[in-house]
Amino acid sequence: MTRILSIAAAIAVVVASLGISTNPAAAHDRRAIGPYTFVVGWIVEPAYVGQINALDLTVTETASTKAVEGLEKTLRADLIVGGGAATMPLTIATRFGLPGKYQAQVIPTKVGDYTFRITGTVNTMAIDERFESGPGRFGAIEDQAALQFPDHVPSNSDLAARLDDTNTKLGIAITLAAVALLISIAALVPTLRRR
Amino acid sequence: MTRFVRLACAAALAVAGATAVPATASAHANYVRSNPAADARLVKAPAEVRASFTEPPDPKGSELQVLDTQGTRWDQGRTTASDEPNGLKVALKPMGDGGYTVAWTTVSAVDGHETKGSFAFVIGSGPLPALPDVPNASPAPSALEVAGRALSYVGIALALGGALFGLIVHAAEGPVEERRERQLLALAGGAMAIGSAALVLAEGDRLPPRLELLLSLRLLAGLAIIAALAPRLAARPRRYAAIAAALTGALTATLVSHAAALGNGKDMTLDLVHVVSISAWTGGLSALLWVYLLPRDRSGPPLRATVWRFSLVALTSVVLLVSAGVLQAFDRLVLLQDLVETPYGIALLAKIALLVVVLVIASFNLLRYGPRAERRALVRGTMVESALLAGVFVAAGVLTALAPPAQPTGAAFDETRHVAGYRVELIIPTASPARTRFVLRVHQGLTPVTNAEKVALRFTMIEHDMGETELVAGERAPGEYVVTGSPTAMYGTWKVQAIIRLAGKEDLTTLFTVPVSPNGTTASAAALTTRSFALVVFPDPSAPVAGAPIELSVVVLENGNAAAGKVVTGSIVAKDGQPIGGDTFTASEQGSGRYRIDVPALGAGRWTMRVQIGSPAETADYIFTVTP
Repeated sequence: MTRILSIAAAIAVVVASLGISTNPAAAHDRRAIGPYTFVVGWIVEPAYVGQINALDLTVTETASTKAVEGLEKTLRADLIVGGGAATMPLTIATRFGLPGKYQAQVIPTKVGDYTFRITGTVNTMAIDERFESGPGRFGAIEDQAALQFPDHVPSNSDLAARLDDTNTKLGIAITLAAVALLISIAALVPTLRRR
Repeated sequence: MTRFVRLACAAALAVAGATAVPATASAHANYVRSNPAADARLVKAPAEVRASFTEPPDPKGSELQVLDTQGTRWDQGRTTASDEPNGLKVALKPMGDGGYTVAWTTVSAVDGHETKGSFAFVIGSGPLPALPDVPNASPAPSALEVAGRALSYVGIALALGGALFGLIVHAAEGPVEERRERQLLALAGGAMAIGSAALVLAEGDRLPPRLELLLSLRLLAGLAIIAALAPRLAARPRRYAAIAAALTGALTATLVSHAAALGNGKDMTLDLVHVVSISAWTGGLSALLWVYLLPRDRSGPPLRATVWRFSLVALTSVVLLVSAGVLQAFDRLVLLQDLVETPYGIALLAKIALLVVVLVIASFNLLRYGPRAERRALVRGTMVESALLAGVFVAAGVLTALAPPAQPTGAAFDETRHVAGYRVELIIPTASPARTRFVLRVHQGLTPVTNAEKVALRFTMIEHDMGETELVAGERAPGEYVVTGSPTAMYGTWKVQAIIRLAGKEDLTTLFTVPVSPNGTTASAAALTTRSFALVVFPDPSAPVAGAPIELSVVVLENGNAAAGKVVTGSIVAKDGQPIGGDTFTASEQGSGRYRIDVPALGAGRWTMRVQIGSPAETADYIFTVTP
């Protein structure tokens, strides 16, 4: 009886884990393109700034749910920030032991929305699709601050922004100092003349 | 000739000062809301169009024109006041399906200023018509109007400053000084009267009754100053009469101001203080030159004492002027960056810079030439001061001709942020959890940012986990991105993240905190409770109209969290308080804990719908009114 209970518990755990494993897919953008289904998102979600992550791409035949393999040779992915402020070509690679699943590693360095642009061909069909992060699709890149404890460590992009700000203030300070110096010299001129 | 030049200089100063003051007071009736609402989609043609504005429009000169996409008018032509505050309405001819644009023109009942704008609605399933590529705008005032204002304020400044000078600083002595003081007051009275008459003429047939009354009062005040010059009246009572008349004129200026139109007591007080203080300073300076310094040579202690007394008056005026100006600026500037990014701010900065220089020169008069009784230097210093003050007033004239960055919208939520050099303004007309219109204005300086690749608003609630909702806005006018929806479907605090995507740039993002409360303008939203659930129910449209379908949104909470997967029904159980056996409608789930009951057209009346969540024990009655 105990053995039956143990088996039942093990099955329950497996079933539950299957249920859990489907949750991350909910945070992916699923789209039918011709006879294929593309599922796109971050491989690690929630996705945090400064952390290694990757494009998580799954392509299946919609009708049969059969994985489409070999797309690392025919598809290309670009990661786009904002309205195209910066674009990074990604190298698509297969995921070991997971047919039809591909990844492309990247370390996102800014908080906010990203767009994956997938171009190329699947068999003979041309593909040019944009998958954008957002509600109901896949998550935007988030700040790590909410998870940090006990100290908040600024991200590299924050540090760079602060450094830029400090440099600007330094430039203003140097200019003001130069003006003050010139005024001081000008004020000294009458005194020197009197001597 | 020199004398003429000096007189001209003094007059120019007063004119410039006068020009500077009035436009700060300009009032405009801007669009707030309408029925049909802007961008509304209707299933049947409305019988009339109603619109409300930020300030009272005068129906005599105001108009609502309803045009189809061919430019054919569908209104019946006579725009009248509606029963809503600051509202207008126009009856419509029978209209077919299609897009319609309402082109509105308002004439402010406060000061007669004209403002134009437009909004659109569609009947049926067609596309919304494009709005004209022109933002809401006020035409430039006519030359006659500008001249009328300038003369009015010259009069106020000369009368107030001149008479105060005679009472506090130096009473005219001898026939020459007395003649000059009378000349100054005659000029003041004439300028006020002619200026007021010019303003009446400039308004023509559109002159609102309230403005007519106030301008008539100002004209009478000008005539009273001239009447006070009668030889029988002694100098002192004449000056008091001039001050009383000038203050009446200043008060009429304030009463036709933007502050008066909004009924803002603080702003009205500041406006009056601003007008009175600048008048006392500039008019006094004119009197110092014309009545005291120019007629004859002065020296010694009397000159020192006079300059000291005038400096005290001027200093008090300047302190009041600057204080009132700064406080007004706080109300008229939205962001600190406005000072360098908007024409209004740049003109304000220029005015402040010139004022600082004027004060430096004035301090020379006070601390150096006055104590040393150097008349020639004082005349020279006062002339330079006058010329620079004219510059200050020209800057102020430019300033007041421009629209300040802070424009009233009448919205429940209106907040502006500065993001990476861009101004991002979020406007939400209602604070209730109703379906509403979200307007995001994006500008760089005052230039609208057009053709954004994407403008999105993302909504998350702070108090409860309602998930994240996104609405994508479309561009309805240059720099104005609009979307309608009901993502803020619950009382509480909502975080609204605005994302603006511009080609080739990083996204502009900013976060607004929007309170959604029962104190919103839409009374039809209701918070209800059943045994186990808390409900928020609101209709779309927020003011249901007879014969048109109604969508009732029902947000269901259980122990403070969204209750998903419930069977929600709505049954019509009463009309006008009388029980009836009406239809029952089953809601569709729109999201976690959000349900929508689609009700086909109802007749006009007060309806009661029994909302049931699951079991018959979990019911609450929602009462709503359908207007004819």
